[in-house]
Amino acid sequence: MSETPVVHMESIVKRFGTVTALDNVDLTVGRQQVMALVGDNGAGKSTLIKILTGIYMPTSGQIYFEGQPVQIRSPQEARALGIETVYQDLALVNQMSIARNFFLGREPVRQIGPVHWLDMRKMNDQTYLSLRDIGIEIRSPVEKVGKLSGGERQSIAIGRALFFGARLLILDEPTSALSVAETHKVLTYTLNAKERGLSVIFITHNIHHVYQVADAYTIIRHGKRVGTYTKAELTPDDIAALITGEREY
Amino acid sequence: MSTIAARQKMNRRRIFDSPIAGPLITTVAVFSLLCATVPHFLTMRSLSGILNAATLTGMVTVGITLLMMAGEFDLSVGPIMAMAAFLYGFHSVQGGNQLWALFLALLIPALMGALNGFIVIRTGIPSFIATLATRFIYGGAVWLYSAGQMFQTIENVPIYSVFNGRLDLIADRIAGANFRTSAFWLIGMVLLFQYVLVRTRFGNHVFGTGGNPGATAAQGVNVKWVKFTCFVMSGVLAGLAGILLFSQYKTVKIATGSGEELNAIAAAVIGGTVLTGGSGSVVGALIGVLLISMLRTGVVLVNLVPADNFGAIVGVTIVGAAIINNWIRNRS
Repeated sequence: MSETPVVHMESIVKRFGTVTALDNVDLTVGRQQVMALVGDNGAGKSTLIKILTGIYMPTSGQIYFEGQPVQIRSPQEARALGIETVYQDLALVNQMSIARNFFLGREPVRQIGPVHWLDMRKMNDQTYLSLRDIGIEIRSPVEKVGKLSGGERQSIAIGRALFFGARLLILDEPTSALSVAETHKVLTYTLNAKERGLSVIFITHNIHHVYQVADAYTIIRHGKRVGTYTKAELTPDDIAALITGEREY
Repeated sequence: MSTIAARQKMNRRRIFDSPIAGPLITTVAVFSLLCATVPHFLTMRSLSGILNAATLTGMVTVGITLLMMAGEFDLSVGPIMAMAAFLYGFHSVQGGNQLWALFLALLIPALMGALNGFIVIRTGIPSFIATLATRFIYGGAVWLYSAGQMFQTIENVPIYSVFNGRLDLIADRIAGANFRTSAFWLIGMVLLFQYVLVRTRFGNHVFGTGGNPGATAAQGVNVKWVKFTCFVMSGVLAGLAGILLFSQYKTVKIATGSGEELNAIAAAVIGGTVLTGGSGSVVGALIGVLLISMLRTGVVLVNLVPADNFGAIVGVTIVGAAIINNWIRNRS
């Protein structure tokens, strides 16, 4: 079945001066697929994702989103396409409530003259209900995000991306700072997101976490794509070996 | 759990969550103490005096609080106040156009605030340093504009009573009630800006910008524009403070306003605003200013400490209030 992949990055090259961060890297993510992007620190995963989210422009190469060639020049353009990213500590504002965070930048408002008044009731209710729809139970939408655990915060960020119609969700090291129980929650929500039609790019250097949820792995080493493999083809040890270079393919 | 039930449950816990819980407790405690120990404290005369004394710093504090919520400082509000007072004074006397005087005295401070914002955003210099520099630069501008001279007038220009008029309605009814219109300008601005902060889209962006600028920018908010606007507002409010000042004292000199920036920051912090931004309250800032003013009146009336050494008491209050605020914040 040849369905158009959600995103296809072709022959991406990125140079910073004389340093080649990415050397002809391909990345393809299919519909409703969880693609793990693995590689050691400094391998180039972040750079590749920053190109996809509009923070960098590639030196050469082409990106296709749902079959169409696109130029992603800014984070806003990435979001407009439906690419949402959940960063580890750049996702939520701790001092603000869940509802305020949920709608930050996209607040429902009533405009009277030049002033945009927040529709607080809509914000609170919609936050609570849409998170509950996704399977995330929060105690109250007015609770401050800082009081939640790391896993709860991640799940709210994921829920937010889902609510705003993301087609592709990029999770940047979502489980690195979490406990075992929390990690399990986040992995569950990742699978929930997939079930709702999202595709996910899961960036990590923790092979064991991602092994539970990923359908396929793209392995990056020293700016080059070592290969893309389905879950069936590799064991976690194989993956580790490919990341470090013990194995070439 | 239905949202209504959830909301009711949360409302109970919210009292401690509120950023003004700490300042309110401290102020009520101090107020009670002063009422009990200071003779003539709970009189209309004394209370109206407290409110009036708080007005100028209070006005500046509103702007500073908004800016601190966005994560930035403005140490140049003193000279901005002085500049506004000079502009207002020069242009309102001898039959000058009073509205023009008012307009200039708000426009120039707005531009000074805008320049602060521009420098901070363009160069990336921390606002503490940038506005420390502009404090001296603006001080020089004030010196040039005033030709180094103090300015005062004995004219009773009508616009002065708009900003510092005697509220005859109350004054004639209640003995000693010397409330002036400036106090109402202050309360009006406090309510306006608190409302803007808590109930508007811009306010939400301010919270986000101060709390986690990276996350807020990642959500598509123009963090630079938010900060710039707050810098301008800080300037405008310092300008308004200058207008109130001249309306009241009909005098301004180059040193006018000097030190207000620190008073304002102290009041903001006492009022529950966090130094790093993202959390706080404009109403809290008003409470902070009132607390300081209350203490000053108390000290003067009791004659316990020589009034000159009042600063030490403010210092103790800042530390005490900060500890209490922190404790309550951590508890919730």
